[in-house]
Parts: sequence; C-alpha cells; structure tokens
Amino acid sequence: MSNIIQDAGHGKITAQIHSDQVVFPVLAYTYPLKLLSPRMQQERVGVVYMMTYGGGLVGGDRISLTINIEHDVRLVLLSQGSTKVFKTRLGTRAAIRSTPNTANDPTTTMQRLDVSIAAGGALFLLPDPVTCFRDAAYHQAQTFRLAHGASAVLLDWYTSGRRARGEEWAFAEYYSANEVFVGGVRTARDVVLLNGALPPPGDGGGQLLLLPRRTLADRMRPYACYATLLLYGPLVQGVVRELEERMRKISVFRVGEPLDVLWSMSGVHGEAGGRVVRVAGKETEEVKMWLCTALRGLVDVIGAEVYSKAFV
Amino acid sequence: MDKETYLLLVLSDSNLPTGSFVASAGLESTATHALFHATPPTTGSAATATGTTGTGSNTDTSTGTGPTGISSSTSSSSILAFLRNSIDTYARSALPFARDAHRITTAYAKNDIADLDVALAALAKIDALYDACTLNHVARRASCAQGVALLSLYARGFTCPPFLLSTGTTIPQGVDSEQEQERDRESRASALVAALKLRVRRGAGGESDDDALGHLPVCWGVLAGALGLSVDRGAHLHLFLHARGVLSAAVRMNILGPYAAQQLLLHAVKPLLTEALSSTAHLVSGALREEEVHLEFEAERLPATTWPLGEILSMRHDLLHSRIFNS
Repeated sequence: MSNIIQDAGHGKITAQIHSDQVVFPVLAYTYPLKLLSPRMQQERVGVVYMMTYGGGLVGGDRISLTINIEHDVRLVLLSQGSTKVFKTRLGTRAAIRSTPNTANDPTTTMQRLDVSIAAGGALFLLPDPVTCFRDAAYHQAQTFRLAHGASAVLLDWYTSGRRARGEEWAFAEYYSANEVFVGGVRTARDVVLLNGALPPPGDGGGQLLLLPRRTLADRMRPYACYATLLLYGPLVQGVVRELEERMRKISVFRVGEPLDVLWSMSGVHGEAGGRVVRVAGKETEEVKMWLCTALRGLVDVIGAEVYSKAFV
Repeated sequence: MDKETYLLLVLSDSNLPTGSFVASAGLESTATHALFHATPPTTGSAATATGTTGTGSNTDTSTGTGPTGISSSTSSSSILAFLRNSIDTYARSALPFARDAHRITTAYAKNDIADLDVALAALAKIDALYDACTLNHVARRASCAQGVALLSLYARGFTCPPFLLSTGTTIPQGVDSEQEQERDRESRASALVAALKLRVRRGAGGESDDDALGHLPVCWGVLAGALGLSVDRGAHLHLFLHARGVLSAAVRMNILGPYAAQQLLLHAVKPLLTEALSSTAHLVSGALREEEVHLEFEAERLPATTWPLGEILSMRHDLLHSRIFNS
C-alpha cells in the first residue's frame, strides 16, 4: 500500500504469540499516526491504540495502517476519543471546490487499513466513532483478509458532527468502504457515501418545477449516529446467538414517533457465521450503550479488563 | 414507431409478471417506524419551493387521513422525500451493475464476445459482487426473486413463438440481411438468458463458482440487453420502474391516493430520474476489472449506499408485526 498513498502517516503492526503472550515484532508508525500498546495481563490478547497527534485529522492527512495478525492472536484495536476530521486545510469551502473527484483532491482526509488474520487469530476493531466537522471531507477504506477459522469484530461508525456547535450532518463528504475476504473469497463489500453538497435536481433545461433543496440532514434525521458491525468466525458466535435471540423477540407495531435506537442484523452470504449489524441512534451515547451491551459476550473472549477499555 | 419506443411500452406495462407487486422497497417498514420525514423543511427557500411544486395539492382528497394519521398533502410530500432517498441510493448502488450486465449481454448478442462461457463468467462476477454488496437479507431476497422472474419473463414471454417464425415465407438469401442479423442477435440473446437461468436455478442449491444468484439489477441488464435496448434506456426504465413500484406500494398501503401517485410520477419523478441517471452514468460495478480495486480512490466511480437509514429500515421489514409486502 505504501506506494499508493503519498505523504502518508504509515503504520505497520505484526502480532504473534510468544508463550501465551502477544508480542509485536513490528510496531512502527510515522507522523501523524501514532500507535501505542499498553501491557495487558490477558493471555493471547494484545491491545493497540491508534492515535493521531492533536487527536484529530485535518484536510489532506493521509493515514495507512497494515496489520498482520498471526495464529491465535486476539488483537484489540482501539482509539482514544472519536476521530475528529477538521475541514479542509486551505480554508476552501467544500461547495466551491472545483474538482469533482474528491478522492484525488489533496484536501480530502484519507485513512486506509489493511488487515490479514491467520486461522485461530482474531481482530476486534472497536474504535470511537468518526466525527466530521463542518465542510470536512473524509474517505476511509478498510480491507480484511481472514483465513478460514479466523474471527473478526469490525466496528465502523460515525456521527453527525459537532452538535454542541449546531453542526448536524454539515460535513462535505463521508465515504467508508469495508471489504471482507474469507479464504480469498470476497464475502462482503460495504460502501457508504454521504455527500453533503447534494446537487439540486434539474430537468436539463425546460424545468417546470423546482423541487425543494434537500440536505444530507434531511436524509439522515432523526438519527445522529450510525454504526455498522461486521461479525465473523468462531469467536463471535456467542455474540451472534444472543443478538439472534433478541431479534426474534422484536415485533414492531406501528409507532407514533421514531424509536430512539434502531438496529437490525443480516447474514453474510456464503459465510455461515458471518453477520452484519446496523444501528442508528438519536444520540451517539445511546448507540455506544447499545454496542457495549450487544458485544458484552466478548468478555469471555478478550477478558473483562480489556473489554472495559472499549466504549469508554 | 421505432423498435425501442415499442419495447418501452411493452416493458412499462404494470401487468408484467415480475413479482414487483410484493415489494415496497422499504416503504412499508418506513411507515410502520414513523420515519416519513413529514416535518416541513426548515429553510425559507425550501419552504417556498415546496409551495410551488403543487405535488401536495388538494385535487386528491380520496385518501383523506390515512392509517398513518397524516393528511394527504403531507403524505404526498413525505412519500416524495422517501422517493428521493430511495431513487438516489438505488441508482448509486444498483444501476452500475445493471449497466455492466447490459453491456456484456449486448456484446454477446452482437458476437463481440463470441464464447458463451466468457459472457456467463462475466455475468457471474457482476452478480457475485452485487451479492457481496447487498448486506441485507430482505433486499437480497426481493432482488433474487424479481431477478429470476425477469429471466423467466424473457424466456417464456419475450422470445418469438415458433409459429410466427415458421409461417412466414423463407427470407430470400441476401435480400434482407438486416433481418437475418436481428434473428441471429435474438437467438444468441435467448441462448444466453437460457444458460443464465439454468445457472441461477443451480445456484439456488449449489456452491459452484460459476453458479449465479440472479439479482434484479443484473437480470434487468440482461433482459434489456437481450431485447436490444440501449444501456441508457435500460437504466432509465429500470429506475422508473423502481420509482413506480414505490408509488404503487404507497397506493396499496392507502397512504397515497391514486391521483396523487400519478402527479408525483408525472411531475416529480421525472427530474429525479434525470438527476440520478446523469450523476451515476459514469459508474461501473467494478466486478470486471482485472487489477485490484483500490477502494480509497474509488469513491467517485464505484457503487455505494447513500441512504443508511433506508438500509436499516429495509432490514427490519421482517420484524414488522403486520405486513402486506415481502420487502
């Protein structure tokens, strides 16, 4: 990947087991990416915090991280506080950016994550949500290559922005692509594209009526936080069973106003134990609570102490 | 009347047995969850514009207050909001697959792709990628059911019946090569559809690599290509039928009157389709590339979901206590 993204903060992690302890023969990073691995008592479990200097990313930042998880390693990836994406560095307003191709736009913030997981290994990607500030443009692409028998909990979530400052879905663009391969076969590609500057619909001349301008907020409301959770492999089956049990009990009667938290789960085709869970909540805190409860079963897999570091 | 116009008339018949009448594309779930955005737009300009659309006019009083407790004019604008989100995300996430499948079918029918297996392998790739992108059991179920129905429709309803082929006098050699060419195109197209249909049927149980699932956008592309429509026409009609399906579901749910539905279809849907088609015309499914796709640089070119809420609502369809649609 290193030749793809220029001027990037690179990171590289290799995690393996050494007499029941997780060790990191490789744990390297360059500015503005920072990786920290606190010592954990839990056998076979390693924890790495992904951070950026200043706790945020500005327009034009490029981060790429490559992770290699070897046999039987249970790696927990966390962040410290939400990933804040600030607006474009040059102070150019998103609406007047001339290039239609934000991917090549030097002011777009990009994150790239590539993970391969060996059989018996597991990744628990449990970061805080991404929060894009007004006019910010953010792209992320995450690829996970699992061997048969590997496990993964992949959380990808984002919020509506700095609500304390009245920002509600006021960013320029949010793009997130997650792709999961199991044994070399693509089982899921989940791509979300949220464009703040929706073009007004035109009729190409001779327009008879003007449809009201619609904002991203119109499309996302009343929810302020959206999460996608991908679950794979033997180590997540306890969590999956519990969620299935909960889903069986849901019976939606016509409601008068929207529920505070909405969630649902689907199977991933061609991968018996694979699931995708989607959650939306009016408050980020409610979504966090939901996730923390839903994944509680991971305590048996990574230990209570490590689990308590996620969703703080 | 040219051939394409005539085909459009035939294909836009709401009586076509495509199974679309059991699909609401998430509309029913949205209504049950009270997530029609019935609140009036907040900005001044938007409010003014709403006034000028006339889509929520008083001419249609047949609905009165529907089961959702919203008045008919509110209901018109709520369903318009739903339609905009639905058209936008469907165009962005599904049309690239329809266009790619259409192109492959056209190329095979015209003998630009000579080998049947090459065409089928390409279609299987497009189908498999669409499946990997459709992480929603309700949408996946509806998509496969309607896709297979389209293949059956072509095989049983759109191929030329033998008695029409045989009763005509034999075409003198070399006199009408254009007609001959058209027959050759048709016979290659129907061979492709028949082979695809077989693989879809096999794929329902089997696990082989070249078995297909028969997703709706892929099968639509194949059908439109087999009939000889242009790619742009095919995409336009597919999106039109998607929008009309939503409106038809709204009428049957009794949240929109039949006149209001026509008003929306005639006046509001048209510019929405134009916009959605032009903004997605350059997209490709990405299934046919040889080299690895770098997703971080492909935001402008690849399919994507643009309405995450619609996705959750659609997934929750099966949780509704009472429902009249399958999706």
